[in-house]
Amino acid sequence: MDRQKPESFNPIPVKERLTIPRQNMPEQDPNIRNGNFLEVNLGLTEDQAVIEAQRCIECKKPTCIEGCPVSIQIPDFIQLICKQDFLAAANKIKEDSSLPAVCGRVCPQESQCEAVCVVGKRFESVAIGRLERFVADYAMQHGNGDGSQSNRPEPTGHKIAIVGSGPAGLAAASDLIKEGHEVTVYEALHEFGGVLVYGIPEFRLPKAILRKEVANLENRGVKFIKNFIIGRSMTLQELFEEEGFDAVFLGLGAGLPRFMNIPGENLNGVYSANEFLTRSNLMRGYDFPEWDTPLYRAKHAIIVGGGNTAMDAVRTAKRLGAEEASIVYRRSEEEMPARNEEIHHAKEEGVAFMNLVNPIEFIGDENGSVVAAKCLRMELGEPDASGRRRPVPIEGSEFIMEVDMVVIAVGNGSNPLIAQTTPEIETNKWGNIVADEDGQTSMEGVFAGGDIVTGGATVILAMGAGRKAATAINQYLKTKVGSVA
Amino acid sequence: MSLKDKISSMNMSEIVEMCIDQEQQAIDLYTMAMDQAKDDAARQKFQELVDMETVHKVSLKSFEIERYIDLPPADLKVTDYLMEPTMNDNLTTQEILIVAAKREDKTAKMYQDLADHFSADKKLNTFFQMMADEELRHKHDLESEYEQEFLPEG
Ligand SMILES: Cc1cc2nc3c(=O)[nH]c(=O)nc-3n(C[C@H](O)[C@H](O)[C@H](O)COP(=O)(O)OP(=O)(O)OC[C@H]3O[C@@H](n4cnc5c(N)ncnc54)[C@H](O)[C@@H]3O)c2cc1C
Repeated sequence: MDRQKPESFNPIPVKERLTIPRQNMPEQDPNIRNGNFLEVNLGLTEDQAVIEAQRCIECKKPTCIEGCPVSIQIPDFIQLICKQDFLAAANKIKEDSSLPAVCGRVCPQESQCEAVCVVGKRFESVAIGRLERFVADYAMQHGNGDGSQSNRPEPTGHKIAIVGSGPAGLAAASDLIKEGHEVTVYEALHEFGGVLVYGIPEFRLPKAILRKEVANLENRGVKFIKNFIIGRSMTLQELFEEEGFDAVFLGLGAGLPRFMNIPGENLNGVYSANEFLTRSNLMRGYDFPEWDTPLYRAKHAIIVGGGNTAMDAVRTAKRLGAEEASIVYRRSEEEMPARNEEIHHAKEEGVAFMNLVNPIEFIGDENGSVVAAKCLRMELGEPDASGRRRPVPIEGSEFIMEVDMVVIAVGNGSNPLIAQTTPEIETNKWGNIVADEDGQTSMEGVFAGGDIVTGGATVILAMGAGRKAATAINQYLKTKVGSVA
Repeated sequence: MSLKDKISSMNMSEIVEMCIDQEQQAIDLYTMAMDQAKDDAARQKFQELVDMETVHKVSLKSFEIERYIDLPPADLKVTDYLMEPTMNDNLTTQEILIVAAKREDKTAKMYQDLADHFSADKKLNTFFQMMADEELRHKHDLESEYEQEFLPEG
């Protein structure tokens, strides 16, 4: 179906638009921000947002929509910014995305919508992510953070449990409450938001945003229960049999730390990224001694890995007072899976990058604390299945460097608890739950989406999966359980 | 005593017995991994490995094996520096892949030593060289899988 081109509110002739420079988002100074946990990016001003929106050339075939995993109507919301109707722009995004203030901050736009922006072919692409963030923040500040409807729909009488409050769970909850179902979110931790609160640090994604999103959902009738582990506090079967739920959505994420299996990984001072970031973010280690979570202030902290997790960990270590904080990565910068902006910010903040280096052993002192890392130098070989060039060890290149803190950030696995306690749920060899396109699992009435199905991926994909599953749950309730009012 | 020296002191039937024993250990490991695997793709993968090692066992009786045209892919050495988990029934998939890749590496080295040992015998030399290549191919596959799943950000 051909999409309707949005009405244009851009007064500037197309040719002239291409001469407008991409608007830089104000940021905290690197030498100041590397000593605090406040947000690095400060957001576009209203004027900047309008100028940036005016850079859009309103393509006939807007490839940006195709570049977005949830097909946000990008040209439409951009025109609404040109019109300076920021609330309408926010609502336009909310039609396709439940968490724009989050995605505007953490989506890898450079490899999605902005990568295929037509302006970007010859000039710098339109800063779609920054615009998304701007309108989402504007809407939150102007009391329309909810973005969608405010009237409560007729209750259907159907009860749905959501397990996990990450982006997948929150998106599913948002769509299901809209339909009038009774929705309860169960969360194992003491804060809601999944990785968005326990993994991604305050300086990149302020917790207040998540709290607002959760409060919005609560206002709309979603019930939130924390410190409650499905599979331990209560089994999945009991949710159906004892609590009377009609359907369950599993958005459990991939929170199981993976280690490298090299000698010395259990020395003191060697953390998984998960533990390190959770201590800092969720347990407010960064607020010590105000909060009672000690975190080591290292002389030399090394973080092993090249993804967003590694960047978050290294920038956290730096902020916690590490004299030197380094990324140690087997490949080169080109192969790093982290967002470009995170790499750029980390460098600005004084993080050192030791690329083409791989630790093969951690060495401890007599107290069992890590004091050194034995590493190998690598060179790049042929590309692997992901298209990234493969690192190959250089024979005889071993060297030892002093370190007193190590964070392993090479990847995460899925938590096996639900699979272990619910044999009806099929999982694959890596422990991910097997679900079809709509999130249906092997167990009737149980749907799943996000990292627990795909393995570690992105916020937007998790959110999209939660929304797809919500649609499928509606359909399921209509056909299997009885008609939805 | 190095494997090379050991080989020099063995007669042909002892050599074959050593090779068959090595292949049987691999078959046992992959059968265990297959029983543990929860999805069809994994089971299939381990079944393939069991089948191949079984072919090796049979080939060792006739010293004939189908020739691959391609040379084995480069050795990734991903698991070379990792700790070898001790065998038990509760190995994780990560540990199974490490054990398996290290086993393929050792077996490849054994066949390479045998190929060198029989350098004057064209048939045996070619046979053991092809067996060594086969095992390196397996190691490559296992390490690729390991990288994809256990080092996505590494
Ligand atoms: C440090 C870090 C940085 C990242 N940075 C980015 C980024 O910049 N951009 C991006 O797009 N992606 C990023 N990602 C990836 C992204 O955060 C995830 O893909 C996304 O959060 C997955 O969402 P989810 O809802 O599937 O799971 P999660 O966010 O992991 O949430 C799952 C929730 O379920 C809860 N849970 C699990 N089991 C149970 C149970 N049995 N009972 C009750 N509750 C349970 C968990 O406690 C958790 O709160 C990052 C990931 C990490 C770790």
